[in-house]
Amino acid sequence: MENEKLINCTEFETHLTDYLDKTLDSLTNKAVAAHALKCPLCHSLLNDVKVALEVCREIADPKLALTKLEAGILSATMPDFAMSCEEFETHLTDYLDGFLPASVFHRWERHACLCSSCEDLPGEVVRSIATVISYKSDELSLPEGLHAKILQSTIGTENAKAMKASRFSQFGEWLRSLQFPISIPQLAPVAMMLLLAFMVVTQTVSADGSISGAYQKSFELARQTYQESSGIVFGDKTGEQKSNHEPIQGTFVNEEKR
Amino acid sequence: MNVSSALATSEGADLVRRCRAGDGSAWEEIVSAFSRRIFNLAFRFTSSVETAEDLTQDVFIRVYKSLDQYDPKHGDLPNWLMRLARNLIIDDYRHRQRNPQNTYAEDVDDHTFHLRAVGGGMQKEMERREIAKQVQEGIDKLPADLKTCVILRDIEEMSYQEIVEILKIPEGTVKSRINRGRIELAKILRRMRIVNM
Repeated sequence: MENEKLINCTEFETHLTDYLDKTLDSLTNKAVAAHALKCPLCHSLLNDVKVALEVCREIADPKLALTKLEAGILSATMPDFAMSCEEFETHLTDYLDGFLPASVFHRWERHACLCSSCEDLPGEVVRSIATVISYKSDELSLPEGLHAKILQSTIGTENAKAMKASRFSQFGEWLRSLQFPISIPQLAPVAMMLLLAFMVVTQTVSADGSISGAYQKSFELARQTYQESSGIVFGDKTGEQKSNHEPIQGTFVNEEKR
Repeated sequence: MNVSSALATSEGADLVRRCRAGDGSAWEEIVSAFSRRIFNLAFRFTSSVETAEDLTQDVFIRVYKSLDQYDPKHGDLPNWLMRLARNLIIDDYRHRQRNPQNTYAEDVDDHTFHLRAVGGGMQKEMERREIAKQVQEGIDKLPADLKTCVILRDIEEMSYQEIVEILKIPEGTVKSRINRGRIELAKILRRMRIVNM
């Protein structure tokens, strides 16, 4: 191919730094990459140089904790931001839990670097907590006879298995457990429908939606009362004849007035 | 597997229901599952096997009488039972602090630890027993309010909020007591040369 460029090992070394800095033109860049893939010696050299560069970068930008020298300089130049030993102890648990705000955190670390009486304290507390936790895992076994004493003082016998629940109390507890679903609000419409269905079946509610046909009965009673009254006023015999009818359920005929 | 975790959900509710119905074996199951944990918690506060034993018995009597109040909707059985136990043990501890004549004599040196064997031979086991005894002595040297908070936080592993609810003191006070307690305990253990500095 016309655009393809081939280089030897000497040229590879010449272009290496520019290749890593990504300043080569695309044709040369491709040629260096292709050579690194083909030549194991140059491939190894490329990796070595990459590692060396990373080490140099780390040295140039150390990620170490606050040094004593730095803390001393900051303390001397910014004495107002110094922290007392009491304040240092107050923030210890928050520091260990990682909840210290940034401003306090730096002052706290500075104090930890400079104060000879406090510098070991965080380590001591961490080791102390670890000891307590390890001590916690060493549980005491139950003293002999305590189990039996507990049973004796609560149910009155050490032989708990002999104590059986009666059927009545089991039924009572079963009923008690049934309270759970009814208290669920979503079941309220279902309960309502069941109640309505029960009332219809038992004829508590009539087909016209009234209770025991009360509306129909009351109309009939009003009509009959009106006819009787009008018969008495106008001397109509039909009123008397109708008064001989059986009274409507739930009413009575006043015999004295007759 | 933790015994109490096995009773975490519906099993716990079922056990309580059977207990209320008068089933002795259900109550025995609850006693077996929680007695060791409650006894150890009582021992942390009392440092006396005999007193811890009596306290454990009292806790179970109270639990048995309170079974009617257990409602699974408000938490599972281990939580409900341990909350009740902690409240009673802390109340008892506070009561004894107010009445020093009732305090359990320093019998921490006299009692025998029944630590479970963890391997490593007799020598190692003896060392573990000795360290456990000294740590308990160190905890006992803390002031009462700090001791309570350190036990609840670092041994019972309760959250700040749970400690607030149990001790009924502000969260800030809880945090400060835990902090103070840890620092004091670290200094005590350093003086006792328990922790290698």
